[in-house]
Amino acid sequence: MVDSHNPSAADVSAASSVEAGEERVWRAGGLEPMPIRPLPEAPPSIHLLGPTVFLLALGVGMGESYMWPRLVLVFGPEIRWLFLIGVTLQAVVMLEMARYAMATGESIFTGAARVFKPIMWFFFVTAILVYMWPGHLSAGMSAFEQLTGIPWVISAITVLVLVGILFSLASVIYDVVENILGFLIGILVVGTAIIASIAGSWADLGSTLAGMFAFGYFPDGMMSEQWFPIVVGSIAFAGPSGMQQMWYTLHLRESGAGMGAHVPKIRGLRTAGEQEKIPAHGFMFDTSNPEEMAKWRGWRKWITFDAFLLFWGITMLVTISFTVLAQSAARENPNVKDLIENGDRSAALQAMSDAFASAGGTWLGALFFGFISLIGINATLGLFDSFSRGQADMTYFHFPGAKKAKMSHLYAGFLWGVITFGILILLFGPADGPEGILDVLAFLSTFAMGAYCVVLLLVNNRMLPKPIRPKWWSNAIIGFGACFYLGMLFYCMIRFGVVDLG
Amino acid sequence: MRRLFLLTLPGLVVGFIAGVLAGGLTAFAGQPAGAAVVAALALGVPLALMGGGYTMLLINKRVRLGGFAPAALFWLIGFPLARLLHELAVSWYVAGTPALPPDTLGFLAFQGIVSLGFAIGFLWLHERMAPRWWARLAQHDDVAREVYLRYAGHAQAMFEAKERRRSRSARGLKPRTGTR
Repeated sequence: MVDSHNPSAADVSAASSVEAGEERVWRAGGLEPMPIRPLPEAPPSIHLLGPTVFLLALGVGMGESYMWPRLVLVFGPEIRWLFLIGVTLQAVVMLEMARYAMATGESIFTGAARVFKPIMWFFFVTAILVYMWPGHLSAGMSAFEQLTGIPWVISAITVLVLVGILFSLASVIYDVVENILGFLIGILVVGTAIIASIAGSWADLGSTLAGMFAFGYFPDGMMSEQWFPIVVGSIAFAGPSGMQQMWYTLHLRESGAGMGAHVPKIRGLRTAGEQEKIPAHGFMFDTSNPEEMAKWRGWRKWITFDAFLLFWGITMLVTISFTVLAQSAARENPNVKDLIENGDRSAALQAMSDAFASAGGTWLGALFFGFISLIGINATLGLFDSFSRGQADMTYFHFPGAKKAKMSHLYAGFLWGVITFGILILLFGPADGPEGILDVLAFLSTFAMGAYCVVLLLVNNRMLPKPIRPKWWSNAIIGFGACFYLGMLFYCMIRFGVVDLG
Repeated sequence: MRRLFLLTLPGLVVGFIAGVLAGGLTAFAGQPAGAAVVAALALGVPLALMGGGYTMLLINKRVRLGGFAPAALFWLIGFPLARLLHELAVSWYVAGTPALPPDTLGFLAFQGIVSLGFAIGFLWLHERMAPRWWARLAQHDDVAREVYLRYAGHAQAMFEAKERRRSRSARGLKPRTGTR
C-alpha cells in the first residue's frame, strides 16, 4: 500500500506517489486510507433531480411559511434582502458539503472524524438531543386537525408508525423516500403557486420581489431586544437549519453522486439480508489524471445546478408565495397582523386561513391548512430518514464492534428508536422537549451550524487533494457563515440573554 | 382517442392534480358538494387540458425536452387563461352570472407572474412522471417508444456534447504530445 499523504505531499494530487504493483491510496487524517478508484461520469443535469429533494423537504418549513412572512408584516417587505443573504449562504454551504461527499463517498461526519474524532461525537450527541423530540410534527398535524377535526396527537402517531413501516418495507430506502418527497414537493410548489394566484395581488408580489434587493435596510425596531434574536434566527434558519446540511452528504452518497457510486445503498429491514458489505472507508479518484478532473468538473456543474436552480429557486418560490399570502391575509383581516406579530403561531395560521376563507371561500382556507400539513409531513419523512441514516453512519464506521452488524439493522434500530420515543413523548411528555432544556436544545441547533462551517473549512482544505480543494472566495463565504452563526449566537446570548433564535 | 389520452396522460394528470387538490380539500372543510365540485373542476379541467396540450407539443417536437423556458412560456399564457375560466365558473355558480374579475388586465398580469412558479412545479412533476410512463407504453405504442427513445437520445446527445467540449478544452489546455 502506498501512502500518498505525507507532510510535503499533502498538497500533491492523490495519485502522484503511486508505485507500480501496489494499491494506490489517499491518506487523510487518522482513519483508514482511501483507495483510488475511477470517478463515474456525471449525469446530464436535466433529467436527474438529485437528492436536493431532501434538503427542500427539511428546509422548506416553518421559516419559509411563517417566520419570514411574520417579519415582512412587522418590518415591511424590504427586510427580505436578509433572506436572500441567508439562503444564498446556505446554497454555498450545500456546494461545499457536496465537495467532500462527492470526492470521497464519505459523509461529512467521517470527514470530521478524520480531522478530530471528538468533533464527530459532538454531532452524534447533538443529533440525538435536538432531533429525538417529535415537536416538528405538531405544527403540521395541528393544521391537519383544523382541516379534518382529527386530534393532532392521533394523526401524529399514525404518521410516525406509517413512516416506520414504509421505511422498513422498502427495498432500497433512498429510492422510495426520494420518489415520495419528489412528488410531495412538486405538489407543494404547484399548490402554493395556485393559492398565491387566488389570494395574492400584483402589489403584494411586486413589493415582495423588490424587497429582496433593498440591501442595507435596517429598520430601528429590528435592533431591539425583542426582534434582533428573531431576525438573526430567521436568517440562520432560512432554508435548512441545524444538522440538515450535514445529512445531505449522506443522501448524496446514497444517490450515487461522485465517488458515492462505489458505496452500496442502505436496504430496508425487509430486505436487510441482501445488504451488501459496506466498506470501512471512502474512495478517492486520481486527481492527477486530466480525464478524471474533467469528470469532476462535470459533477461540480451538476451540483451547482442542484444548489442554485432547484434548492435556491424553489426555496425562494415557496417563501415568496407565503409572504404574498400573509400580506393578503393581513389586508383582509387586520387581526391577522396583530396575531402574527405577537408570535402565537397556531392562532396566526388559523387567522390566515380564516382570512383566505373570507376572501376566496372555505376551500381556500382549507387549502392553506392542507399545505401547512404537507410541509409537516415532508419534514417528518425527511427528518426521520436523515436522523437514522446519520446516526447509523457514525455508529457503523466509528463505534467499536459496530461493523459486525448490518448497516440496515443499525438504520432500523435508530428509526424505530426515535419513533418509539416520539410516540411515548406525544402521549406522556412535552413534544418539543422538557422546558428546562429547551434553551440548551435551541443553543445546540444554532451552534451546530457554526460548528459545521468550521468543520467544512478543515475537512475540505486539509483532507482533500489540492486540485479539488475549494477556491478562496468559497472559503471566505463559509468563514463568514461560521462567524455569523457563532458570533450572532454568542452576541444574543451575552447582550440579550437569549439563545433561542427560532 | 384512447391512444391520445394515454400518450398525453402525464400532462393531463399533473394539471388535473394541481387543480383538483383544491376541490378535494373542500370536502374536508365541509363545503357543500356542489361548490366543491365546481371549484375542483373549474380549475382542474382547464389545467389538465393545457397540461395535456404541453405533453402533446413535447411529443410533436414543438417544445424542447425538459427545458424550463418553453414550459414557462407555455404556462405564461395557459395559466392566466385557466385562472380566468376558473373565476368565471365560480362566479357563475355563486352569483348566477359569470363575471370577469375587477381590473381584468391587472389580474391577468399577476397570474402571468405566478405562472412561473407553477411552471417550475409542473415541469418538476412532469419530468418525474413522463419518461417512466412512456417507457411503460413503449412496448405497445410506436409514438411512445419514439418519444421515450428521444429522452434517452437527448441524454446521450448532451453527454456527447459535453465530451466534445471537454476534449476541446483539454486540447486547448494541454497540447497532445503523443498518440493514444
